[in-house]
Amino acid sequence: MLEWLDGDPLNGIAITITFFISLIIGRHLGKRRTQGKTGGSTRDPRLKLLLSFLLIISITLMKHWYIPAAISIFAVVIAARKRSLHAYSGKIIFPLVLGLFILLIQSLTYGTQTLVYGYIQFHPEGIEYGMLIFSRVVASASVLILLIMATPENQILESMRWFRVPSTLIQIMSFMVRYIKTFSHEGEKLKQAQQSRCGFPENASFPEKMQNIAAVSGLLITRAFSRSEDVYRAMVSRGWSPDIKYPEASVPLKRKDIITGIALFSGIVTLIWIDMLI
Amino acid sequence: MHISDGILEPQWVLFWYFITAVFISAGLRAINKRIKTDPAYLARISLIGAVVFVISVWHIPVPVTGSSSHPVGTPLAAIIIGPLATVVISGIALFLQAFIAHGGITTIGANTFSMGIVGAFSGYLVFRLLKNHTSIWFSAGMAGLVGSIMTYIATALQLALSLNPGNVVYYWKLYSLGFIPTQLPLAFAEFAFTGYVIQYLLKAKTSLLETQQESPSGNFTKKAIIMMLLILSVITAGAYMGYLRGGDNMGIDTVVETLAAPDAAAEGIGVELMERLGEPLGFGFAGILGGLVTGYFWGGFTGKGQRRDN
Repeated sequence: MLEWLDGDPLNGIAITITFFISLIIGRHLGKRRTQGKTGGSTRDPRLKLLLSFLLIISITLMKHWYIPAAISIFAVVIAARKRSLHAYSGKIIFPLVLGLFILLIQSLTYGTQTLVYGYIQFHPEGIEYGMLIFSRVVASASVLILLIMATPENQILESMRWFRVPSTLIQIMSFMVRYIKTFSHEGEKLKQAQQSRCGFPENASFPEKMQNIAAVSGLLITRAFSRSEDVYRAMVSRGWSPDIKYPEASVPLKRKDIITGIALFSGIVTLIWIDMLI
Repeated sequence: MHISDGILEPQWVLFWYFITAVFISAGLRAINKRIKTDPAYLARISLIGAVVFVISVWHIPVPVTGSSSHPVGTPLAAIIIGPLATVVISGIALFLQAFIAHGGITTIGANTFSMGIVGAFSGYLVFRLLKNHTSIWFSAGMAGLVGSIMTYIATALQLALSLNPGNVVYYWKLYSLGFIPTQLPLAFAEFAFTGYVIQYLLKAKTSLLETQQESPSGNFTKKAIIMMLLILSVITAGAYMGYLRGGDNMGIDTVVETLAAPDAAAEGIGVELMERLGEPLGFGFAGILGGLVTGYFWGGFTGKGQRRDN
């Protein structure tokens, strides 16, 4: 067990230093994890949004399915480690179905060579192209889902000003984010109230069902209209005016974030380069 | 139908971003102009936008299929807050929807184009054209139906342009046909949904609608539109069944030419038009001409026009 003591002492020094440094880093990471400070969520949201956008663009530039497939697997592993596999699988279903639809259409129609299985005729070129699109869709969606998991919605909205998004757009967006949850909850309450008054019966005809939904929707729209007057009064009482100028977002990126950004950007460029070399 | 990230090629991502940016900047300019005269407008469109977002993710029953799906919602929004403001609202809604993995970040431009621009403007145009001739609920319903169908046709075009640039028209038809089984019943659901909501708003709060109901000018327009929809349904259903049975969209031209009139030489103004404009535009031109002439002399055919004059 201690044979290395008889040999080159350098081995012993190396293994001791690396072991204890790793031990300290591991302990530190473990403590951060238990305190809920994971590396992903402490990064600047502007950096995460920009890098995710660049990674998704680079995925669409790829000409082989291997790297997008590897990114998808990596995303599944991260989701599993974060114990968010259920949320991940719920969100990936829609892009997965769309990807499969395109894979099917391309396999059946695109290309000149044919492969016959029973009554169905496939095209190898179409299968290859469809697989590429499918893997791109799943990989891009996976990146987006990880971004959502690691970044709260309000942080993303805050970073919009830094990207020079017009202030009117940000104001409308902020209101919408604020009131989507309110109206969603209110709509559910209205539905329940209607059900308790014998609305939405199981055996209702299609026009009856549509009339019920439309009544709830219409009521919600009229409520939104009335509430907007109150919101406007609240805005004015807090000093809002149409000509108000918002201060430029001047919080600079931290040095740590800049270094991480450069490293990850280099990684993205490397992935594109590898894809071109294959 | 939201296009996900990874489907469109980068040049098409940029192209649809550019087109959408033009419309969004026009929409923002219109909103800012309106806010200067009516400051409460900002809160109003934001809250109504939030409601339309909520409603558009509710599941509505879809006829025939027996399932449920969510409406496009942009034709309804366009009727209530106008098409330009709808483009801005739908752009924001699609950005927010990207964070529940509906659509994507790189495809916001393309999705806003199909839903916010094509869906809203086509629906609004239909509503404006019909509202003076038919009842408001029917006009709104037609706006919902046309807006929904146009959205899916635009999405199919976007997919064909990006994925199969060598054979766009063929793949445009193919993707459109692929959407028919799920999206055509949904378009009819959107018809009922939009019509009923606008009817409710008309009863509950007329001031909310930017337009007022005017007296309908008889059942002629309604009957003509119902007839058009019936014929369109028969054609699309026939084309879809033909496609499923292995047809290649050849049509009956070749069959007629080879079997019924093998020695006929095609010539004349119609043939020239088809050659110059391409078949779809040629048929469209013929349809406009035929419709205008028939509509103009309709009173003479039925005798109703003469009675009214007398």
